Amino acid sequence: MSSHRITARTPGVFYRRPSPDAEPYVGDGAAVSEGDTIGLIEVMKTYREVKADTTGTVSQWFVENEDEVTIGQDLVELDT
Amino acid sequence: MTDVTGTTTENDTRYDFGGDEFVYVEISAEMSLPAHFASLAITRRLREEAIPGVEEICPSNASYMVRVDPDRIHPRDLVHELQRIETDVGSAASEDPDFVVDTRIVDVPIMFADPWTHEVLMRFRDRHQDPTGTDLDYGARINGYDSAESFIDALAGAPYLVTMMGFVPGLPWCFQLVPRERQVEVPKYVRPRTETPERAFGFGGAFAVIYPVKGAGGYQLFGSAPAPIFDGAQEQPDFAEEDSVVFFRHGDLIRFRRIDQDEYDDVRGLVDAKQWRYRTRPVRFSPSRWIADPDGINAALVGELDR
Amino acid sequence: MSIVVHDPGLETTVQDTGRLGHYAIGFPPSGALDSYAYHVGNALVGNAPGAAALEAVYLGPTLEFTADSVVAVTGADIPVSLDGEPVPTWESVAVRAGQTLAFGQLAGGARPYVAVAGGIDVPTYYGSRSTYTLVGIGGFGGRALAEGDELSLGDAAVDPRAGRRVEDADIPEHPTTAELRLLVGLHSYRLTPDSLERFTSTAWKVTPDANRVGYRYRGAELEFVPREQPFGAGSDPANVTDCGYPVGSVQVPGGVEPIVLLQDAVTGGGYATLGTVVSVDRDRLAQTKTGDHTRFVPVDLDEALAIRRDRAARLDRVRSSLA
Repeated sequence: MSSHRITARTPGVFYRRPSPDAEPYVGDGAAVSEGDTIGLIEVMKTYREVKADTTGTVSQWFVENEDEVTIGQDLVELDT
Repeated sequence: MTDVTGTTTENDTRYDFGGDEFVYVEISAEMSLPAHFASLAITRRLREEAIPGVEEICPSNASYMVRVDPDRIHPRDLVHELQRIETDVGSAASEDPDFVVDTRIVDVPIMFADPWTHEVLMRFRDRHQDPTGTDLDYGARINGYDSAESFIDALAGAPYLVTMMGFVPGLPWCFQLVPRERQVEVPKYVRPRTETPERAFGFGGAFAVIYPVKGAGGYQLFGSAPAPIFDGAQEQPDFAEEDSVVFFRHGDLIRFRRIDQDEYDDVRGLVDAKQWRYRTRPVRFSPSRWIADPDGINAALVGELDR
Repeated sequence: MSIVVHDPGLETTVQDTGRLGHYAIGFPPSGALDSYAYHVGNALVGNAPGAAALEAVYLGPTLEFTADSVVAVTGADIPVSLDGEPVPTWESVAVRAGQTLAFGQLAGGARPYVAVAGGIDVPTYYGSRSTYTLVGIGGFGGRALAEGDELSLGDAAVDPRAGRRVEDADIPEHPTTAELRLLVGLHSYRLTPDSLERFTSTAWKVTPDANRVGYRYRGAELEFVPREQPFGAGSDPANVTDCGYPVGSVQVPGGVEPIVLLQDAVTGGGYATLGTVVSVDRDRLAQTKTGDHTRFVPVDLDEALAIRRDRAARLDRVRSSLA
C-alpha cells in the first residue's frame, strides 16, 4: 500500500465542513474516490471545493478546520 | 495645521499628496455648506483653466481631490496653482453674489419605511446601535423627534445638494439645505451590513445616499427609491439620451418626495416598461442668497418642480 | 480567431490600462493590477500598449486556441504548458490552432498575465476593456471568465513574433515579504504617533480578504487620537467627513485591519486614510498572496516621483529591447 497527499492549490482558510453545523465532508478513516470534495478553501470571499485527485482512505490530516493554508501545503494523506 | 508646502492658508485648508498620482485638498475637517461651496467654486474654476497634467477633478463634501499626471506637472506646482485659485474664488464662494451655479432640481420619489429595507435592517439588528427598534425610530430619537413620522417629515421637508459622487458608480452624497441646527446626523452601523438592497435610501453622518446597486453598506436604512440611479445598459430614456450610466451629477439639487406604495408600484411599472423619466427643472443656485434666506430659496427651488 | 476557456481558474478577468477619467462619478480605474507584467506581456507578443490581456490569480486558466497565435505569460512565477509540454514565461511562444495552454502550481507571486497577439477583443465600455465585476461592466460580460466562454482575439498586433525574451534582470522577483513604499499623510494625524510608528515597523500578514478591490492585513492594533468628531463625520474615531480616496490609499477601520485600496475599490468614503502606496508598488502588492508579509516603507514625494521615473525608463528600455 502506498500513500498520497492532497495539497492546497490556493492560499486561504481551510474548512472540513460545508457549514459550521454540518458533518465533515470526509471523516477520519473514510474512503474517498477521485473527484470527491474533501473540504473548502475560502479566499477572496469565495469558497472553492478541494477535490480528491486520487482514490483512497484517509490516514492523516495535516490541518485543522479553519486553519490558514498556503499554496502547496499538505492537507490530508490518503492510503491508496 | 501646516500644509505640505510649509505654508498655512488663511482658512486652514490642508493640501496633501495621495501618493504620486493624487493631490488631496481638505477645505475643512467638518462638513458645512460654506466649505462645500468653496470646494465647488475651486473645482469649477480649475476645470475652466484646463491646466495640463490635471487629469481628473473630484469634488467632494468639504474637500476635493485631483488626479495628476506628475510627468506633466509637478504635484507641488499643482498645489501652488490650487492655492492661487483658492485665494481667488474659494473663500468668497459663500458671500460673493456673483458666484452662481447653473444646475437642475430633480424630483426623486422615496418610499420611507418600505418593506424591502425593513426586511434587511431587521436581519442585521445585531450590528446596530439599537437592536430593539428600526433605523427610522433610532434616527428620530437621537435627533430629537417625537416620532418616525415627524422625522420623515424633516427628511423630506427641504431639498438636498449633491455634494459628492462616488463610493460606487452613480452614488450621490446628498447634504440637506437647512441651517446646521436643523441638520440630521446619524452614526453608521456599528459593523457594516453585508447586504443592502438596490436603490435603498440611506443616511450616515450628515449625508443621505441612494445605493445604486445592492451590496455591503453601513448607513442607516430609511426607505427605498423606486427609480434607478444607475443603468448599466442605458435602457431608461434619461440614461440613453444623456449617454450615461449614472443619473446624478455633482451639484444637482434633489427633492426627496415621500410616496406611498401605490406610487412606488406605478414608478416600478414605468421602469419595467423602460419609460421612466425623472422630473427635472433647470435652476440657478446662488450660495450667498441661500445663506441669507434658506427657507425662502428652498421654497422657490421646490416650487420650480411643482409649476 | 478565438480562445475557448476550458477551466477559468480563479477570478480570471480581461484587463487593460484601465477606465480612467470617471473617478468623479464613482468609477474606479480597474485595469491590470501589475501594470509592469501587463505592459511587458503586450510588448512580447507585439501588441500596441493598451491591448487587453487576461489577469488570473493563484490558479491560471486552461485555454484552447482555435487558430495559430502568439502568447506570453508574465507576472507570477508559475509553470506553464502547451499541450502538456513546458513553455517558458516572460517569453513569446507560438501556439498552433487546437493547442491548449495550462498552468501548474504557483511557485511565487500571485497573478499571472496572459497576453495574446492582437489582444482580447471585447467591447470597450467607458473607454476601456477592463472588467469591473462589482457593477458587472466591461471585460467579458462584466464578469470573471467561466468554463465554456469563447474569447475573440483582435487582429491588430503590430508585430507578432515568437521567441522574444525578457532579460533575467528585468524579471521581477516575488519575495514572500514585500516592501511597499508609501507617502504618509492624508489623515495620518488621526493616528497616535506610536500607532503610526507601529504601522511602518510591523510586518503585516496578508489576510484571505485580498482581491482587486483591496488587500486587508493583520499584525498590530492601531489607535486613533481621541477627539470630538467634526460635524458630518459620524461618531466612530476612524471616521472623517466623507471624501475621495486615492487609489492605493490605506485605511484602518476599527484600528485592527489596514486595507490598501486597489484598482476596483470604492472611490470615496468616510474612513480616515493614513497614506498612499506609490503607484509603481501596486505592482509588487499585486504579486503578494494570502499568508505573505508586507512592510510599509515611508518615502517622500520626491522619492515617489523618482521611483516613477525609474519605472518608466525601465519599461521603455524593455520595450525597445523587444521591438
